[in-house]
Amino acid sequence: MKPAMKADILKGLKKPPLGPVLTASKILLASYILLAIAAPAIAPQNPYDPLQIYGWEASSPPGTMGGGGFRYLLGTDGLGRDIVSTILYGLRISLMVSVTSAAIAALIGLTAGVSAAYFGKWVDAAIMRLVDLQLSLPTILIALIAIVTLGPGIDRIILALIIAQWATYARIARSVALSETNKSYIDAARLMRLPTARIIFRHLLPNSIAPAVTLIPIEVGHAVALEATLSFLGLGVPIDKPSLGSAVANGFQYLLTGQYWISLFPGLALFGLIASINLVGEDVRRSLDPRNHPA
Amino acid sequence: MPLISVVLGRLSQAFLLLIAMSLIGFIGVHSVGNPVFNVVNIETATPEDIRQATIALGLDQPIWRQYLLFINNVVRGNFGTSYIYHLPAFALVMSKLPATLELACVAMLIAAPVGTGLGLLAGRRSGTIFDRTVLRSSVFALSIPSFWLSMMLILLGAILTGWFPSGGRGTTARFLGQEWSFLTGNGLWHMVLPALALAIPNVALIARLSRSGTIEVENLDFTRFCRAKGLSSRRILLRHTLPNISVPIVTIIGLQFGGMLAFAVVVESIFAWPGVGKLLIDSIQLLDRPVVMATLTFISVAFVALNALVDLFYAVLDPRVRLS
Amino acid sequence: MIEEPLKTPLLRVKNLGLRHLSASGPVTILADVSFDLGRGEILGIIGESGAGKSTLGNVVLGLLAPEFQRTSGTIEFDGMSTEAMTASAREAIRGRRISAIFQDHTASLDPLMSVGMQVEETVLAIDGSLSRRQARHRALDLLTRVGIPDPQRRYRQYPHQFSGGQRQRVVIAIALAGSPDVVIADEPTSALDATVQKQILGLLRTLVDETGVSIILVTHDMGVVSEITDRVLVMRKGQVVEQERTAAILDNPCHDYTRKLLAAVPRLRIPATAANPDDRQSRTGATEEGDRETMLLIAKGVSKHFSQRVFPWSRAGSKAKFALRDVTIHLRRGTITGIVGESGSGKTTLGRIIAGLDSAPSGRITIGGRQFDVAKSGRRSGLLGRVQMIFQDPAVSLNPRMTIGETLRETIRFAAATGRNDAPADLASMMDRLGLPRSLLTRHPHQLSGGQKQRVCIARTLLARPQIIVADEPTSALDVSVQAEIVDLLKDTVAERDLTMIFISHDLAVVQQLCSSLYIFKDGRVEDFGPSDFIFSQSRNPYTRSLIDARPRRFTC
Repeated sequence: MKPAMKADILKGLKKPPLGPVLTASKILLASYILLAIAAPAIAPQNPYDPLQIYGWEASSPPGTMGGGGFRYLLGTDGLGRDIVSTILYGLRISLMVSVTSAAIAALIGLTAGVSAAYFGKWVDAAIMRLVDLQLSLPTILIALIAIVTLGPGIDRIILALIIAQWATYARIARSVALSETNKSYIDAARLMRLPTARIIFRHLLPNSIAPAVTLIPIEVGHAVALEATLSFLGLGVPIDKPSLGSAVANGFQYLLTGQYWISLFPGLALFGLIASINLVGEDVRRSLDPRNHPA
Repeated sequence: MPLISVVLGRLSQAFLLLIAMSLIGFIGVHSVGNPVFNVVNIETATPEDIRQATIALGLDQPIWRQYLLFINNVVRGNFGTSYIYHLPAFALVMSKLPATLELACVAMLIAAPVGTGLGLLAGRRSGTIFDRTVLRSSVFALSIPSFWLSMMLILLGAILTGWFPSGGRGTTARFLGQEWSFLTGNGLWHMVLPALALAIPNVALIARLSRSGTIEVENLDFTRFCRAKGLSSRRILLRHTLPNISVPIVTIIGLQFGGMLAFAVVVESIFAWPGVGKLLIDSIQLLDRPVVMATLTFISVAFVALNALVDLFYAVLDPRVRLS
Repeated sequence: MIEEPLKTPLLRVKNLGLRHLSASGPVTILADVSFDLGRGEILGIIGESGAGKSTLGNVVLGLLAPEFQRTSGTIEFDGMSTEAMTASAREAIRGRRISAIFQDHTASLDPLMSVGMQVEETVLAIDGSLSRRQARHRALDLLTRVGIPDPQRRYRQYPHQFSGGQRQRVVIAIALAGSPDVVIADEPTSALDATVQKQILGLLRTLVDETGVSIILVTHDMGVVSEITDRVLVMRKGQVVEQERTAAILDNPCHDYTRKLLAAVPRLRIPATAANPDDRQSRTGATEEGDRETMLLIAKGVSKHFSQRVFPWSRAGSKAKFALRDVTIHLRRGTITGIVGESGSGKTTLGRIIAGLDSAPSGRITIGGRQFDVAKSGRRSGLLGRVQMIFQDPAVSLNPRMTIGETLRETIRFAAATGRNDAPADLASMMDRLGLPRSLLTRHPHQLSGGQKQRVCIARTLLARPQIIVADEPTSALDVSVQAEIVDLLKDTVAERDLTMIFISHDLAVVQQLCSSLYIFKDGRVEDFGPSDFIFSQSRNPYTRSLIDARPRRFTC
């Protein structure tokens, strides 16, 4: 079979089977981002401000009229904080932590990966030894080890997530850069005696960066889940400034006594966030995959 | 030759990991404060007591000497004594291991066949409604954070319906000198929800992998050749497609089994399942450093060992690795 | 005009039309294709890429992806229309009465199942009444028949333990397991070296003569067609251009396209009379001191091995596999020197070392009297940039993210360090000279055809103003008709610009057209060398002879 024809058939098979769901998730993700940015303006309450919180209203079910002059649409948590507001503020923290860590991890990973591929020899060996070691362990374990060593705090959790994720980018960037280095256009560039910097930045990097960049959305999704899990375990962000994960954790003890809303709604928000990032991320990766665009 | 280099690679990796973990542990133990005060009572100790304890712990030695001492202990499985339980940390971890192992095994026994089967079917019928459904649900299943999934399982399976217990190991029976839940009906009953919590994301992962593997293999020339040479589709599926996709599937099963040991941390603490994971989280919260280090080192090394096993299995499955 | 076959047709395809439903709308793949296939006949289907010839084979096999849709026509097999058959009846024909051989022998076999088992399961699938023992016997029989030596021992081995030619023999054994009436062979020898190709074609001919099977042979290679087919169907863009007996097509093609295809096939001439007896002395390398002046480049004693180290820390020792073993070549100024060899003979490795892209642990390279250290690669050798290269696959030789203009201007800026300011004029005249429209300057590589891309690569090479060019199989990724154009272009360019060129190829005829002297490589060694005429008429080297004999006789004169 002709390769072109094969590619056509593969394209037929890979046709995204997620049309309407994808559109919905794009809209959902966009609104998540908007809500996170606008949280202080639209949240009925500032959950970080003890003066706005009334302890006696703890664990109010959804729909209760609160002392602050507004209705707790999704109820309040064990400390009396409005769940809607907690979700909005938690969203900010979750997104901030995960986007920051994914971006920094991508930067570090890309640089490490392309350097490993271009310089080879001991640079490659040293970087890839570390990468292989990390990738042979689950990211959650790396993140756990890192956070246990580093201690709690938002900056620490960002650092832990970077440590847990950079290796993925490094591996991809290296393998792509290696296969590009073996293509004859790089040989041709060397034969033309182009400066090394020009070969790397004008020829090698633009052609090897795309696959690693398409990883970013999916890795942001992972980071959200990781951060939430660490926060849930009490190892993440401080309890007075809850992320979505710690908001869910706060409600865990109330779940067994039937006050389901404290953890259900933040959990739903979290699930929707991760699912929409994953769906959009997969779409980004698929649409940027050159195999899906024959000539 | 590749086999030898694979084994050597894994061994050097395990060695590297042990060094890394010991460094982390060494720094960790020292950063938490003077370890002497874990041994002596701060209020009643005389300076002489403290001096004695310092010598006993080797803290009067130069720092590199202390590190070598520490490594020596780590290699022999001696992580020190738990501050809380006053038991050797490593033995404590080992005593919690059966609970974790049986949970992970049961979960994998659910996830592997279900995931492979769904993936095979979806791959064979790629593009159909069934395929879309599998693909779509797998994205959702992988998006649910495991702690929330566990909580929702408790909400649905225990609190709202009352069908299953919400936590604990239930009745156990003794076997091989250890207590096991899977040997009693009540124990199995307690296992259902936590095992599901571990299995669901893995079903999704394995299904996706075996789906894409099936599509890939079915597009290869030899599957076309098999059809051209007149084999029945059943035989092609069972004798050619399945063995060829089994290589990546076995890999992911091995890796995910290790992953379950890591995620047991979450699931066990939610379902109050007294395994290694719950021990780890409890110890982190109680600042019980020896136990934390023992657990993390154990899980990491177990993981590298699992990887090595997977590599070997790979070689057994694939004659190209075995016979070159 | 279609000649009535003498025998009753076994397979009759009538007015077949087919289209492919792609995302961008339906595309016609086949239009109004008709042909007959007689018993014991080898029918060649020839065409360039995109002719629809492979698809035609798949239609007959009934192995089309669902995206293909038949728009017209009928296929009759042994008097029965295939449309009228049930799915299970069609399934029953496959393997038993119609079977297939694909191009890629590696991909055709299941890597995880022993070779004997793969033959055996086919035998069993076709005749369920056989016992395992009987099936094994039959499988051994088949393997013997296709020329697998020591089949008993090799039965339990896996495909990766066989050579390419042997794998293709196993594939043929499997195709024959059901004693089929028709075998559809899709480019069965294209992935093989010339000498092996010759053997496989011979095997197919023998099998046809012995068993009376009919073969539909899909190929792009006129040489293959001329060697073994009885009749030929020439296809172009999904349509049948011409069909005739092979001899008639070769001698007297009716259609322009067929003529063009034939003309594009490189022909090997064997010089009738022995050339000047002095040639033995003037064999390029044999002259040492005499004409240092005329030798622009001398590569001496170049060796390189691929390390196969058992342990990461062990030195590459006796197990090392040599890519090059003590190779010495001389390049005469202003000539084209050919390096010929089969895959893995080390010819590309040498080219890259000469261009300074790779290093070699031992050897010396002298260019115009100046000596270079080949132990270093890249800039440090001092060699890089003195010798330019034209690469095999133009598709990966141009940066996909730069326009043609950007690529060429970059070369002028960095490589052609002549300090002249007439770059735009240079560029334009170069484009014109190489037959490239100037409008291509703003395009990206993927918008160009393969031939255009290779022309751009040549332009880039020339703009760097080298004295020496290494052309590494510059035509093998291109269609036959384009190949000839590129070969002519290279020949003219070398003459016009007083260049010296190394032309690396696996095709003797192309080399003969271009080169005044040549080196024949085998397993990393120089097996034979000398002036082109000497090699083709007088060389007694058995390997050289086997390479010449492997050429299709029809295109050797």
